[in-house]
Amino acid sequence: MNILRNTFFRITQLNNIFHSYWFSVLLVLICTNLICCTIKRWRNTFLQTGFILTHLSIILILIGGVVKLQLGVKGSVNVYKGKSVDYFLTQELTRQGKIDYVKRDLPFTIALDDFILEKNEPKFQLVSYIKEKDRQKILEIKLSKKQRVASSDYKVTVTDYIPDAELRQEPVNASDKPDNPAIFVKTLGSEKVTAEGWLLANDRNYYDDKKQNLRIEYLWFPSQHELESAISSVETSSPKVSVFVLGQTKEYPLELNKIFKLEGTGYSVRFLQYVLNYGDRRPIEEQLPDNPAVQVELISPEGEETRWVFERFPDWDKMHPSKYKDVKLACSGITSSYMAKNTVRILQSEDGKQVLVFIKDRHIVETMPWELEKKYSIRDLDRQVMVSNYFPSFDFKKDVVKKSDKIGTPAIYVDIEGPSGKYTEWLLSGSQYATWYPDNNFALVYEPTGESIKHFISNLRIVDNGQTVAEKAIKVNDPLKYKGYAIYQSSYDPEAGNFSGLQIVKDPGIPIAYSGFGAICVGVVFIFYIKPFLRKKQKKEVEV
Amino acid sequence: MSLINITLIVYVIASVAYIVREIWRSTATKWVSLGLFILAFCFNLAMVTKRSIEAGHPPFSNLYESLIFYACCTAFVYIIFEFVYNFKVVGALASVLSMLILLYATLQDDTIRPIMPALKSNWMLVHVVTYMLGYAAFGISFVTSIIFLVVKPFARKGKEDRGTEEGREILPRNFDKLSYKIVAFGFPFLTLGMITGAVWAKKAWGDYWSWDPKETWSLITWLAYLVYLHTPLVLPKMNINKSKAAVILAIWLLVSFGIVNFTFMGLNYLPSASDSEHIYGLQ
Repeated sequence: MNILRNTFFRITQLNNIFHSYWFSVLLVLICTNLICCTIKRWRNTFLQTGFILTHLSIILILIGGVVKLQLGVKGSVNVYKGKSVDYFLTQELTRQGKIDYVKRDLPFTIALDDFILEKNEPKFQLVSYIKEKDRQKILEIKLSKKQRVASSDYKVTVTDYIPDAELRQEPVNASDKPDNPAIFVKTLGSEKVTAEGWLLANDRNYYDDKKQNLRIEYLWFPSQHELESAISSVETSSPKVSVFVLGQTKEYPLELNKIFKLEGTGYSVRFLQYVLNYGDRRPIEEQLPDNPAVQVELISPEGEETRWVFERFPDWDKMHPSKYKDVKLACSGITSSYMAKNTVRILQSEDGKQVLVFIKDRHIVETMPWELEKKYSIRDLDRQVMVSNYFPSFDFKKDVVKKSDKIGTPAIYVDIEGPSGKYTEWLLSGSQYATWYPDNNFALVYEPTGESIKHFISNLRIVDNGQTVAEKAIKVNDPLKYKGYAIYQSSYDPEAGNFSGLQIVKDPGIPIAYSGFGAICVGVVFIFYIKPFLRKKQKKEVEV
Repeated sequence: MSLINITLIVYVIASVAYIVREIWRSTATKWVSLGLFILAFCFNLAMVTKRSIEAGHPPFSNLYESLIFYACCTAFVYIIFEFVYNFKVVGALASVLSMLILLYATLQDDTIRPIMPALKSNWMLVHVVTYMLGYAAFGISFVTSIIFLVVKPFARKGKEDRGTEEGREILPRNFDKLSYKIVAFGFPFLTLGMITGAVWAKKAWGDYWSWDPKETWSLITWLAYLVYLHTPLVLPKMNINKSKAAVILAIWLLVSFGIVNFTFMGLNYLPSASDSEHIYGLQ
């Protein structure tokens, strides 16, 4: 079939019409037709000038084209900076219809002395997006000009601009209500601070000191009662595997090698092993909980299937193809149940109870109340721990500051008006995320429009018989001509800008084709503008 | 209100004014309608100028810019014809045509982007301006052909054919001859545009003709109008009814204008579009 297709195209040349033989035959026919027409209609009057010029010009252009095809060459070559070439490559169709490169020698040498790639100044654009319409629109960046985003109720005003900005985030306490409790913890070794940072009860609530095998945890309880029951338990949570099957989710404790039957289905699951850091070759005791994973075996009458399930990537199993598609797995609690050799737990309840629990090798060794700005030594370790600040409602205050006056990472301050009122925000051009208006339907992105090339220039030198005969800085639209060859700037090395892509053309048909071009221009102007004018004049003379 | 909206509205008002003038013929309505059309053209010209100043290059680097320039050229060519020939009605549709082109422009991406190196040439200016004047003339001939085809069935037979002599009003039933004159005005521009394009292509890409889709289709456009211009020489020999011939030619003009628009804007939708350096809006 393939051979048949290839033969069909080879014979008809339908994949390369404009260079096919039958197209050339058509061109010859039109040429003959034009010659016949011209002879037949020849009246030898001045008014016929346009007619003759236009018809002859087409013949000339066609002859020029034939000369180009027969005697001309067109090819390309890449030259590296500081190097020279004395050949170029032309594309030729093989009998199989494939494109082949053929090396051709030049009667001279082209040396590339320098290659300059000039880029445009970086530009930035403000793009708006309306989710319900899935429509993007580019907005103008003009200070204090209110713009309505077309066919919507959103209005955007750019109120400030910084050419080179930096985002600084400063932690603040938003209120006295414990919406987002956080403490600032320092660890000290021989009176020096070794580490410090915020621990958030509802977010990242632990810090691991890998060298000391120490973990510091921050736990928050709504009441004193709950806190007290938590003091004595070593385990705060237990690792679980959740199984989603038949529209229901069921959780199973991570107990290795025990078979759990999934009720109502033909499946059973068995947890083969778990690791704290998937891909880590060390024994589990030495691993840190960077990428906890469980290996699960699904048992069915039709055979077994084993899968890895990752705590950090709860959607992993949903997104990856598996044998038993109707069962989806996820695991949780491995990170928080991980116990370092030494653990310091900082407990706090809403009514002000504050307790510090030291755990070593899964045993509670000490319990004591804690206060702000007081150092507590960790037993057997040359470390002290101190809570230096407490924010019941932790938040970030974003601040955009100016870095310089040059265009770097520009930022704009925008006002968005919409159905949920006014909303103001800084947009940084480097940000990967869109800025969403509170109704989650409208977003803005301030982004660079991509680098674009202004000019690319090759400083060429032509060497003929060992002597420099021509020199020119060529760019697109401005070639260098020598010995019937024209050398064009056509491309460049897109990665490093090291080489220049040159196009080399030799076309002896140019004078013929160009005289045709000239003739056709004069001809049409004569026919449609000069001739009617002359006719009118003649008519008037006749009338007089 | 933005300039583009004002221009659109003035075009609409001008169109209405031309219809009023058709019903209530007087010197006043004539000058009011023409004045409104010229006003719309001025607004359009202001848009083109403003855009070139903002962008820092002639306004043809993308489809949006070309379209507003095209609308402006259409209005300009119409105004010339209104001064040279004595005809009516056409203005109503000509301003609708300019308005539609502008309306289509509003759907395009109007971001100012830096101009690519190959487009930095004086040839570009000549190439685009001549082409746009040609296209504009074909747009007007499209309008006159539509009017001719609409009026044709109602035209009374046997009435004296007054032709297109100067000074006298050209009646819509003689618009076939008017169309021919308009095409004859535009065709040299199309030819010049094509030739300057070839010369520019030689300078920029090393070949004056490389059969890229845009080049091929511009040749097809050129041939379509060439056929139109040659048929009056051939038809008398073909024993075809004169009024039938006029209808065929008018329909041929409608088709040719379709080809013009395909060459201008439709090529973007071809699968081979991405290979062509000619096509707008694919940066």
